[in-house]
Amino acid sequence: MSSIEIRDLSKEYGKTRAVDQLTFDVLPGRVTGFLGPNGAGKSTTMRLILGLDHPTAGSATVDGWHFADVPKPLRQVGALLDPHAAHGGRTARNHLLALAVSNGIPIGRVDQVLELTGTGAAAKRRIKTFSLGMRQRLGIAAALLGDPAVLLFDEPTNGLDPEGINWVRELLREFAREGRTILVSSHLMSEIAITVDHLVILARGQLLVDMSMPEFIRSRGTPRVRVRSAEPDRLRTALAGRGLVLHEGADSEAILTVEGAAAEAVGVIAAQQGISLLELIDEQISLERAYLDLTADQTEFTTGLPIVGSRSEP
Amino acid sequence: MTTITVARSEWVKMRSLRSSIGSLVAGFLTTVGFGALVCSLIKESEFELPGFDPLELSFYGLTFGQIAAISFGTLALSQEFHQSALRVSLAAVPRRGLFYVSKMAVTGGAVLVVGLLAGLTTFLLGQALIGDAGIGISDTGALRAVLGSAIYLALMALFAAGLTALLRSGVAVLAVLIPLLLLVPFIFTDFASGVMSYLPNRAGQTIIRQYPDGLIGPWAGLGVTALWTCAALLAGWVAINRRDA
Repeated sequence: MSSIEIRDLSKEYGKTRAVDQLTFDVLPGRVTGFLGPNGAGKSTTMRLILGLDHPTAGSATVDGWHFADVPKPLRQVGALLDPHAAHGGRTARNHLLALAVSNGIPIGRVDQVLELTGTGAAAKRRIKTFSLGMRQRLGIAAALLGDPAVLLFDEPTNGLDPEGINWVRELLREFAREGRTILVSSHLMSEIAITVDHLVILARGQLLVDMSMPEFIRSRGTPRVRVRSAEPDRLRTALAGRGLVLHEGADSEAILTVEGAAAEAVGVIAAQQGISLLELIDEQISLERAYLDLTADQTEFTTGLPIVGSRSEP
Repeated sequence: MTTITVARSEWVKMRSLRSSIGSLVAGFLTTVGFGALVCSLIKESEFELPGFDPLELSFYGLTFGQIAAISFGTLALSQEFHQSALRVSLAAVPRRGLFYVSKMAVTGGAVLVVGLLAGLTTFLLGQALIGDAGIGISDTGALRAVLGSAIYLALMALFAAGLTALLRSGVAVLAVLIPLLLLVPFIFTDFASGVMSYLPNRAGQTIIRQYPDGLIGPWAGLGVTALWTCAALLAGWVAINRRDA
């Protein structure tokens, strides 16, 4: 059981503040989604966790350890930062072999992760002949090499085919079940929505959100109920009596929506009046909608300002 | 994680790149090839000339072999700055001192071994080709030249490696070093001309002369090269340690 502790973490590149006094924890046993617009500081934060960049202030530790002091780094943290960060002249197997040897990982594990990530057939090919998707799989293979307790994945699904995306999702879910600690960034909201348990959202290097997925959705959406009734006019009158307005659905006249109310409230009102309901559902806003609403004003605000941390963004 | 495991990892990295192996092979071939060529062309009438040095003649290829050694040293570091491969390396070996020392040890060690083979081969082959005026391995300076030329090549490789760590660009280092090493000796032909004697290559190459008569002696000359190398390695270390990867 390991966790990542970020405390008052700041990083400046020249006069640009890429990460601004971040404090949050990434806890084991769940998948934490790391979201934010381009240049929000996600990749920089990951590099700071790995000790690749030196923080201007604050600290990022894994289980209380600065990463540089961890005895067996690849067994503690596996990271996928940039699928292109491997020398193209080397074969996939030799790339992984060099990493394994440095951490005293048995050579058999190299072939194991090659098979696991579906790169076994290409093991003896030079990395420069790899497609983006294959490089991504190789990067994941490198991250899994040490069977680590903590995984940092920066856009792992970038360039993957639908089957690969599905595989990464299953992998992350599986690792969370095993009690590992997972921080994953992505711009694919639909993927994040069905993969992660917890959200950390950054904008302009600052922490905007650190809460569970359901909590975030609830916090962003005004409640809305979809209802179908045999007696829409009676229902309309009954709801109006409680200050609620019944709207006609966009696609069908039979489906009506009530803004600002939960299913419980509408159901009780209908029951009291003896109005029969055919359908009554709470409508949740999508993660994508909630996220875009949240970052809309942020993005608007940042336009015209320098894009921080851009050197790490593809 | 120890220096041994990290050095073994650096060895895997080195031997798995064609360009690395290629520059080591090229170093051997150019050192031996140019030496043999010059030794086979020398005429008996030249044996009596005052500047004739059979030892130096058989190491004629060292000037070209050092280019390969420099390329090899540059490559050892420049591969890490290509496509930010350094991040992957440091995520596996976050102790930068361990990483740097291991890499340099493997780089220097590989060149030293190849340099010894090349030195011995070019000496024996060269002297055989010179014929009657050739010297034996037990003659003055012979063993020193074989051993010293290998150390010299290793020092030059590490000099280039240190500079590459500092400048983060193999191209920049080669663009500065190769003209400096190849052109300067031809422009300033006087071997012992003052300041020039203290350039890393000028100073170090006194090790291959049978009777050095310049400002500095053979081992002192190699010491001067070693000082240049230490300075480059130190500058490279500061850069690797301080900078964001």
